[in-house]
Amino acid sequence: MKKKIWKKLMSVVLCGAMVFSMAGCGNTGGTNSSSEADSSAKTSSEKTDSKKTTVGFIFVGAKDDYGYNQAAYNASVAVEKHFGDQIQVLRQENVPETEEASRALEQMIQKGATVLFPTSYGHLEPAMDVAKKYPDVTFFHQGGLKTMDNLGTYFGTIWQSFYLCGIAAGANTKSNKLGFVASFPIPQVLANINAFELGAKSVNPDATTSVIFTGSWSDPALQTSSANTLIDKGIDVIAQHQDSTKTIVELCEQKGVYCVGDHADASELAPNTWLTGAVWHWDDLFIDMVQTAIDGKFDGSKYDGKYRGGLKEGVVDIAPFGKSVSEDTQKKIEEEKDKMINDDYNPFSDEIKDQKGNIVCKKGQTLTIDEIESMDYLVDGVIGSTK
Amino acid sequence: MKDKTESIKQALLTVLALAVMVVIFGVFLMTQGVNPIQIYGDMIVSTLGNSYGIGQVVVKSSPFIMVAVATAISAKAGLVNVGGEGQLAIGALLATFVAVFVAKSMPGPVGILLMLVAGALGGAVWSGLAGLMKVKAGMNETLTTVIMNYIAYDIVSFFVYGILKDPESFSWPMSPEIADKLRLPEIYVGVSIGIFGAVAVAIVTWLVLKKSACGFRLRVIGGNAEAAKHAGFSVAKIQMAAMLISGAISGIAGMVEIAGVEGRLRTTTGVNYGYYGFLAAWMAWNNPLAAIITSVVIGFLCVAGNVLEQSSGLPSSGTKILMALVLLGILWKGKGRKKCS
Repeated sequence: MKKKIWKKLMSVVLCGAMVFSMAGCGNTGGTNSSSEADSSAKTSSEKTDSKKTTVGFIFVGAKDDYGYNQAAYNASVAVEKHFGDQIQVLRQENVPETEEASRALEQMIQKGATVLFPTSYGHLEPAMDVAKKYPDVTFFHQGGLKTMDNLGTYFGTIWQSFYLCGIAAGANTKSNKLGFVASFPIPQVLANINAFELGAKSVNPDATTSVIFTGSWSDPALQTSSANTLIDKGIDVIAQHQDSTKTIVELCEQKGVYCVGDHADASELAPNTWLTGAVWHWDDLFIDMVQTAIDGKFDGSKYDGKYRGGLKEGVVDIAPFGKSVSEDTQKKIEEEKDKMINDDYNPFSDEIKDQKGNIVCKKGQTLTIDEIESMDYLVDGVIGSTK
Repeated sequence: MKDKTESIKQALLTVLALAVMVVIFGVFLMTQGVNPIQIYGDMIVSTLGNSYGIGQVVVKSSPFIMVAVATAISAKAGLVNVGGEGQLAIGALLATFVAVFVAKSMPGPVGILLMLVAGALGGAVWSGLAGLMKVKAGMNETLTTVIMNYIAYDIVSFFVYGILKDPESFSWPMSPEIADKLRLPEIYVGVSIGIFGAVAVAIVTWLVLKKSACGFRLRVIGGNAEAAKHAGFSVAKIQMAAMLISGAISGIAGMVEIAGVEGRLRTTTGVNYGYYGFLAAWMAWNNPLAAIITSVVIGFLCVAGNVLEQSSGLPSSGTKILMALVLLGILWKGKGRKKCS
């Protein structure tokens, strides 16, 4: 028994020795960042003196999810292309929304990163923990509602796109029953569901939207069962707020149900049933944010705080129309889009009732972005519960 | 003499097995246009070359050690407890409950102690249920513990979405942050005293299993339950006790995760830690001391995997491939050792 343990211990120690010997090789091979990594206390300001700025991105899901993460990932590629040799880009995907995110961010800082993009909603608290420790590192968080001196949040008013998608859905449904596979009942998600229903109702007063919350950004099994449940109820258009849209879009194509995408254009997955979708255009925004940080102008800039871009700023848009969307509907949607861009039209205006009949927006009133981003209700016509 | 050459041979074989796996992954890296030597160097330097990295390996390994020891205890009693995942989750849940609702106004040490008891209790209840199903109804504990992992996850979700939800989180499912005084004291960069607990549990367990009468009984039952019964051992009682202790240790791992690392409960807190711990135990052939080492190896791979991804630009599955290869290497080597005991 005793000998056995020694055998095992010995073998592991030897493995360790081997691993260390490789570390030696690595040093002679030489990476630019590893030589700096030894002192964790070194502040990042020293590192910015060297010409290259290191920019880090973490994503909660896979970079090719036909959705949220792909949209952000593509923008990180655009940033890399735009700045070329000026910057070094670090990326990590599938980073959970726990202390693991703090670890990934901190490891990027160890590698010299001075600009960080935690791109998921739940990365906010872990990022704030790290931001507290490194006041010289600039953080751009995607979608958050809290900010710090060195942490700004950026997002887009993607509910505008969902309103337009709702028009397409309302015009195309035959059963007047629309479905929505949502993730978490957080304000941004509720705003999208509500805007979708308002859009549908604007062209089809009988349209209702049944919503299911999966409690996950991307769980293919839950996505499938939720979408199937909706289809079994006679729903013939399915929209979603999930990070990965592929599963539901493909399922819709299989079952011959219209689908509305989210985050990125997935029309190629459903050539017959695709209507349109809400999409992000992060590229220019990301490039501008990185430029601001490189120039050292983050403090007091529009990104120092809560930045929200919309259709007007080109941060959000709708995906190309599918073949089932009639020309009339397309025209109507383009008109509404024009109104939103040029006349600052906001669909969250005039009398809106929530599910219980309470008035959440009075006649003549228009909800502010802050009010929209703190929504905790579903509007009349939406079937489902936020609980 | 013969044994000595044998052990050297075994050690060399392990090194060889690992080296082969590392080389295989290196070739894979090369096919992806990445310089493997540079990446390996970067992984090691940025993980073991600075205090933060070392600290994180320790932080990541601590729960693995505890779950591995827990798995080993039940394994010695002839039970395959795959429920570390669920026991850890319930332990974390009860500890958070105490932290949020009960211990808020208590002095720190008392509150921490209460959280510890709650964590242990939660884990023990969860494993105890599986234990009862085993000894009373003869249900296979491998299956029941796995199924109960899923139930535990749903129970945690129920509370995190419900009464435990942070009122300031805008409906985001997570508990409020626990009070600072309820956090475990830090002993090293980012490392709480939890690691001492983990190592102590491993050593005590090893001693008890090896030297005490209890340990002997456990091992006899694990060796042949039928024979033990005929020898007058109360198998059911001892197996039940093994399950309870095992669950309590996993539950404490959950408590340490809350009080020492995360500071709040989320539905994703500690996900997969139970399975990593289980893996660590079996890689160590259920030896609690060896489990410390296998846990650290897995912890190192988890932390260094981040660097692998950041440096190489490979997708996150790259890390999983490396981890799988290294674990396969250790398991492959480990085989054949369990000839006689």
